[in-house]
Amino acid sequence: MPAFLTALNPGWLLILAGIVAIFLPMRRIRQGIAIGAPLVGIALLALADQNVNHLTASVMGLDLVLYRVDGLSFVFGLAFLIAALLNAIYAWHTDDRVQDGMALAYGGAAIAAAFCGDLMTLFIFWEITAVTSVFMVLGAGTRASYFASMRYLGVQILSGVLLLAGIAYVYQDTGNIGLQVFDDLAAPGALLIFIAFGIKAAFPFLHNWLQDSYPKASVVGAVVLSAFTTKLAVYAFARMFPGQDSLIWIGAVMTCFPVFFAVIENDLRKVLAYSTNNQIGFMICAIGVGTPLALNGAVAHAFADIMFKGLLFMSMGAVLYRTGTTKASELGGLYRSMPWTTIFCLVGAISISAMPLFSAFVTKSMILSAVAHAGLPIIWLMLMFASAGVLEHSGIKIPYFAFFGHDSGKRVKEAPFNMLLAMGMAAFISIAIGLPAVIPGLGYEWLYNLLPYREEAMNYQPFTFDHILTQLQLLVLATFAFVLLKRFGVYPPEKPGTILDTDWLYRKVGFGMAQWAGTVWGKVGPAMTAVFFGITGRAYDRIEAAFSPRGELARGGLTGAMAIWTAALLGLVLLLAFITVG
Amino acid sequence: MSNDTPETRDTTGRFLKRAAEKAHDLHTVSDEGVHPMAKLLFGWTEAKHIGAIMFWGIGLLGAFLIVLDLFVNRHDYFTFANSTGFYGLYGFAAFSFVVLMGWPLGNLLRRGENYYGDAGGPPADVDPDRPQGPADAHPTYEGDE
Repeated sequence: MPAFLTALNPGWLLILAGIVAIFLPMRRIRQGIAIGAPLVGIALLALADQNVNHLTASVMGLDLVLYRVDGLSFVFGLAFLIAALLNAIYAWHTDDRVQDGMALAYGGAAIAAAFCGDLMTLFIFWEITAVTSVFMVLGAGTRASYFASMRYLGVQILSGVLLLAGIAYVYQDTGNIGLQVFDDLAAPGALLIFIAFGIKAAFPFLHNWLQDSYPKASVVGAVVLSAFTTKLAVYAFARMFPGQDSLIWIGAVMTCFPVFFAVIENDLRKVLAYSTNNQIGFMICAIGVGTPLALNGAVAHAFADIMFKGLLFMSMGAVLYRTGTTKASELGGLYRSMPWTTIFCLVGAISISAMPLFSAFVTKSMILSAVAHAGLPIIWLMLMFASAGVLEHSGIKIPYFAFFGHDSGKRVKEAPFNMLLAMGMAAFISIAIGLPAVIPGLGYEWLYNLLPYREEAMNYQPFTFDHILTQLQLLVLATFAFVLLKRFGVYPPEKPGTILDTDWLYRKVGFGMAQWAGTVWGKVGPAMTAVFFGITGRAYDRIEAAFSPRGELARGGLTGAMAIWTAALLGLVLLLAFITVG
Repeated sequence: MSNDTPETRDTTGRFLKRAAEKAHDLHTVSDEGVHPMAKLLFGWTEAKHIGAIMFWGIGLLGAFLIVLDLFVNRHDYFTFANSTGFYGLYGFAAFSFVVLMGWPLGNLLRRGENYYGDAGGPPADVDPDRPQGPADAHPTYEGDE
């Protein structure tokens, strides 16, 4: 392979292709590039040597590592490239230069960030993902999406600014900006970087940007968004904060709280946004545990999640495309018109629920085993609780209320072929990596072979009788709970409405206070101006009355008055001089 | 006639469907807007008493899995997880809890759709040919009540 190709970061290739695509009016050529670039990227990545700096640079005394592949970044990069490919196929029916180009550049920036070897380069691509991804939300073209995109951009840029501030502290303290593991959050800059990553990973209370923007994005945009930003943050945590104890609890809380919101949320794309939160929680928790088994689990689950969450977003995108809504209260019975979409959605739903023979079964089990090995019963129970919750909102609610349940009477066309193809490919991957390794090296072993701790991964057996039995018990009995609650009519009905989340604090209380402050200032400002002008005006009048040519001192008895004033002032000066000298 | 392939009949004298016709049928949406694959893949969901069949089927499967657990000596890391049917009962309890919490949480947290300002319509890139308006949303067919 020529030298320039070995040094070409696949992410850069996608960014370049994206820039070209933005200016390319020929639709099919542009889409050809959007599909071709990830394919070339996968080939480049497959041929790249690992643990070697392929491209370095020195800028202003900073040693930048622009392209480096290792066991951890390989899996994320590969997943991002596959996602970029699927997104391009999914977008084949659209004709939108900005969306095509920005989606490519967004994926490229995430890949480039995963394959860099220093904090400064990470920061640059971290910001590029923020700026390019906002177009996915803006592309929806509604007023609500415009405001959501501005909030989104603000939060994402804040994350970048915190990261940069953290890097500055780290550089000042150690003089080294290489990617490093922070054992102690009290180290200079570590906490800032931790929060910067935490924003993009949508930690509890920092998560609102996700549920705010993804459901308001365009049909294609939401699919593109689902793959990159949060998983890049997971990668960054796995790289720089493995074994950080606080992540265990943060992750466990992240898995549990979105479950409750997802149950009552009516917009199915928003349900998926909460579901994203919940799945990221599993990964974050595993990174906190930090053992090789746990990190393998986090990485494998990230790969699987990019596929099945993308698949679920694609199926809801297809529903939105054909019906114009993803509100559960307006949907139902769509399997009659969209049977293929239904099948693919069900594959995604079963995969995310960790049914044996589907992807999450072989990935999430590593995380649960690692938590059990580490002797954390409460965390383990929380994750098991969240597993039942996943089954509720992503496994049952999404397909049931969209495709089955009460027939909405909507009769639409099946999704366009390109959407079905992209969904079919994602479904294929979701099944393929969940199968037992009947042929060695295929099935789940294919994914396990790619994991950063390969030997530990290959020693792990997901298909034990115990594991299959317990997992089936959990899923079947939880499904029975659904059937039971439905049968007795105690399942809460889907109602239209906005569900309040913690963003209420800044969208209502914070915004209200800012408005109140504005109103108050609008009244206090003029009042203060009036008082100021009143005082200065009066002072001016007095001075003018005394000293102006028409004033008191200029009138008649001027000479006398002047002589008296001069004498008085002179006396004062003399007195002062006398006192100070004496 | 443009179609000059000979039409064949079966022994009872009825015309045989050609493969191309069959394939065509599998792609042609019926007048009621039902995709032919839907009947094939999910026709069973319209079966009579499907609710009861699902209820008892899943219930019995769950019971079987718990009974099976009696005969298996599992080796979990936590002793409490080794008790018979722990996973099933925990899953059942967790699921029911989450769903039932939907009632109070819904009452507590649900506001009007335009609570944060105009929620707006669908994004710009939806199908321009999609059915629109309330008249199209609920087509009525003969026999509907």
